Amino acid sequence: MQENYLAKWLNNELTEEELAAFKESDEYASYQRIIEASDTLKGPDFDMENALKAVKNKRTLHESKVVQLKPFRRFLQVVAAVIIIMIGSYFYLNTLNESFSTQYAQNEEVTLPDSSKIILNADSEISFNPKKWDKNRNVTLKGEAFFEVAKGKRFTVATDHGTVAVLGTQFNVENRNGFFEVTCFEGLVGVTYNGKETKLPAGTSFMVVDGDIIASETPKSSTPSWLNKESTFKSIPLKYVLAEFQRQHDIQVETQNIDLGKLFTGTFSNTNTDLALQSISVPSQLKFKLDGKKVLFYAESTP
Amino acid sequence: MIQTHVLKKEIKDNVCEDEVYSNLFRANSKTVFNYIYYKFGNEEKAYDAVQEAFARLWENCSKVTPTKARAYVYTIANNLYLNVLKAEKVRLKYADRVNTTNHETPEYVMEENEFRKKLDAALNGLPENQRTTFLLNRIDGKKYAEIAEMEGVSIKAIEKRMHLALKSLREQIEGI
Repeated sequence: MQENYLAKWLNNELTEEELAAFKESDEYASYQRIIEASDTLKGPDFDMENALKAVKNKRTLHESKVVQLKPFRRFLQVVAAVIIIMIGSYFYLNTLNESFSTQYAQNEEVTLPDSSKIILNADSEISFNPKKWDKNRNVTLKGEAFFEVAKGKRFTVATDHGTVAVLGTQFNVENRNGFFEVTCFEGLVGVTYNGKETKLPAGTSFMVVDGDIIASETPKSSTPSWLNKESTFKSIPLKYVLAEFQRQHDIQVETQNIDLGKLFTGTFSNTNTDLALQSISVPSQLKFKLDGKKVLFYAESTP
Repeated sequence: MIQTHVLKKEIKDNVCEDEVYSNLFRANSKTVFNYIYYKFGNEEKAYDAVQEAFARLWENCSKVTPTKARAYVYTIANNLYLNVLKAEKVRLKYADRVNTTNHETPEYVMEENEFRKKLDAALNGLPENQRTTFLLNRIDGKKYAEIAEMEGVSIKAIEKRMHLALKSLREQIEGI
């Protein structure tokens, strides 16, 4: 008889010989009886349709629960996003510099957190970080500005040409394309240019024109002339004079047959355009044509 | 034309469809109920197992294909009370054999009742896995292959259980 023959017998898988032999055996009748009795057995009643209804009810209950959860989760997502934005903007604003700038023909006075004052000449820009001002008095300058620095820690002005460091003083920094001048009116100023530091006592200035350090004379006044609405030059190439005229009067300067390297000494008004044009053209022996917001300078010999 | 046909088939094959789900319930819930009852002899727990198994099937209806659904509900129901519930006495009823009742002598009926009592006791004396296999086959008419699927064992193992179950039933009843 094969393995598990009782199971095979119930499944009608016995061979004819095996079945015959099994029927011959003593146990067959009792097995037969057990199976007959077992086949009239029933499990407990099970109301399938009610059970299905119950499952479906549970289902909708469960679904409505999910719906309730969703807004809370969304709320948390919004809160998380807001917190991230707040933290992000806090760090961003902390590193953000405050900056002030002037257009052509415009001056502006800026008071720093330690009550130091900066007066910006035309077409200039300064920026500094007010949050870190206590630790680090550092101003970045493009253009020209006059500084009245309150006494305190080291105060530095960073420019493309070099840095100016002071403790507490009044000085002017002009940082234009190709032109860099620092004039000290009070106290002591340290100018670092090309890695070399030059000390400027009161009444001296440091000037770099087209990369050359030029010895310059002591200013006569106690403040730069532009604070008095005038621009003063002493042996300065004409191109920087004309550039300054353009900035102060917001008039486009064009030139024809002019030696822009020619040195100019003189002063022009920052408010009266006609007077300023005269002040530039007469000593330089130039002629000019003013046409609205444009002026053309040309040599006297040209027709 | 082909596309719509495929689409229709997909909907039909989706357990999340109410009709598909209800059909699966009608086809398998009774067996799940009996299966748990044969194991533990607790009607209430068997009913809960059906509820739980089919609730979980609904939750995961998008992940379970209709062909996998049957095995899925068995597995859930089976794991529900694993190592938790203590088996109780399984109480089964006997269907009345209408056509033979009239011809039976009182002695026969008495003897038959005696035999049923013995059979009940013998069934409860079986190891849980043998009883479950035997009853699923005899009462629910489940093939060995399907019981093997439910229990997660081979068909041969089910045959062995069947064989041993019948053998020990006889031994119990005849007092061998």
